[in-house]
Amino acid sequence: MNTDSHSKKITKVGLKVIFWIVLIGFLSWDWVASPQVDLRNEPPVIAAGSGQAPSGGHCSMAK
Amino acid sequence: MKRFPLAALIAAFFIFLLWGVSIRQALLFAVGIGLGATLAGARFGFTTGWRQLIESRDPKGVTGQVLLLGLAALFAMPLLASYPELTAALGPPSISLLLGAFVFGLTMQIADGCGSGTLYKAGLGIPLNMGILPLFALGSFMGSVHLGDWLSLGQIEPVGLVDLWGAEKALAATMLGLLAALIAIRLWVGPGKTWLDKKWLWGAVILALLATLNLLIAGQPWGVVYGFGLWAAKAAHAANAFDPTTNMFWSQDGNAQILTQTVLLDVTSITNIGILAGALWISANAQGNSKPLTKQQWIIGLGTGFLLGYSSRLAFGCNVGAMLSGVSTGSLHGWIWIPLAFAGTLVGVRVRRHFQF
Repeated sequence: MNTDSHSKKITKVGLKVIFWIVLIGFLSWDWVASPQVDLRNEPPVIAAGSGQAPSGGHCSMAK
Repeated sequence: MKRFPLAALIAAFFIFLLWGVSIRQALLFAVGIGLGATLAGARFGFTTGWRQLIESRDPKGVTGQVLLLGLAALFAMPLLASYPELTAALGPPSISLLLGAFVFGLTMQIADGCGSGTLYKAGLGIPLNMGILPLFALGSFMGSVHLGDWLSLGQIEPVGLVDLWGAEKALAATMLGLLAALIAIRLWVGPGKTWLDKKWLWGAVILALLATLNLLIAGQPWGVVYGFGLWAAKAAHAANAFDPTTNMFWSQDGNAQILTQTVLLDVTSITNIGILAGALWISANAQGNSKPLTKQQWIIGLGTGFLLGYSSRLAFGCNVGAMLSGVSTGSLHGWIWIPLAFAGTLVGVRVRRHFQF
């Protein structure tokens, strides 16, 4: 492997590491900064047949 | 990293979700892993399929996508009719949708990835897509902030075919629409082409099954863009850079509540994280072969990432939220999205060629 392709590979691996550190850092910050999850009020495991309207946001929503 | 330690880390996160968040979110994370592994393993690229159709008259990718839409509709529409808790991906036909879909179709060709494509390629470790992801999130958030202004230009109420006609007629109309798309493709590519290969076939079947699982578990169809916008909104809110109470989109009850809780409780965020993890797992045994980009290509690519996020918010979804989930759950906005995004792609492939991506 020549020096140029070796350094490109290192840069690519470095970018990958930075990407995952930023993502995990964001998720960790969010977990710590957000109110604790209320485990007693867990959403239904399967929405279908639960009788409860879904609580999530969706990209198709205008509101 | 090798597959075994990666699998152990992913399993540990699954158990953490199961223990500390909810069983539903853990299951949706598993669905996301399946989606990511399938997208990356089959290289099921919506963007690539469209580009191959235009540039090489190769119908395999779009046939796989038509098959995916048909199978997903076949599963989703009877479920929507049987379970009133389940919701369709209903976006309002609007000026915002027309413009957003066109720009999204254009920019996805430059960035070589739509919403799901950006996610799985970032998971695979492709440098441009990893760089695009945060800008996609920022664009999606900015689009949500401005959405009220865009909607004021003109909109009608969302139209859901299952509500309007019932599951059987809605499914028949959807299949006729997909058949018309196949006829148009046949007229464009001419005779003697291979219509489908193994990769697109098994990709379509598995994605349709996982999209159906997502609908059953979450109560809503698979989406990507909302999660991105939420992540940037949380960061902007924490930095006091934006006040959700004065914004049309984020002051709505559902969105305001989601903004106050951890993103691990959001159904779209958790499948997005799963897609990244699934693609990362695939990348452990894959050879990365992305070509290095010039400085100009990086600047254009990253700028495009912002536009991808902004336009997908205006268009009420990307290839997943608007096209796949919209069409398969009978939303009229999905059928409007496709021709507009395809028109944008016709321009996008030329721009892509011009900048030699």
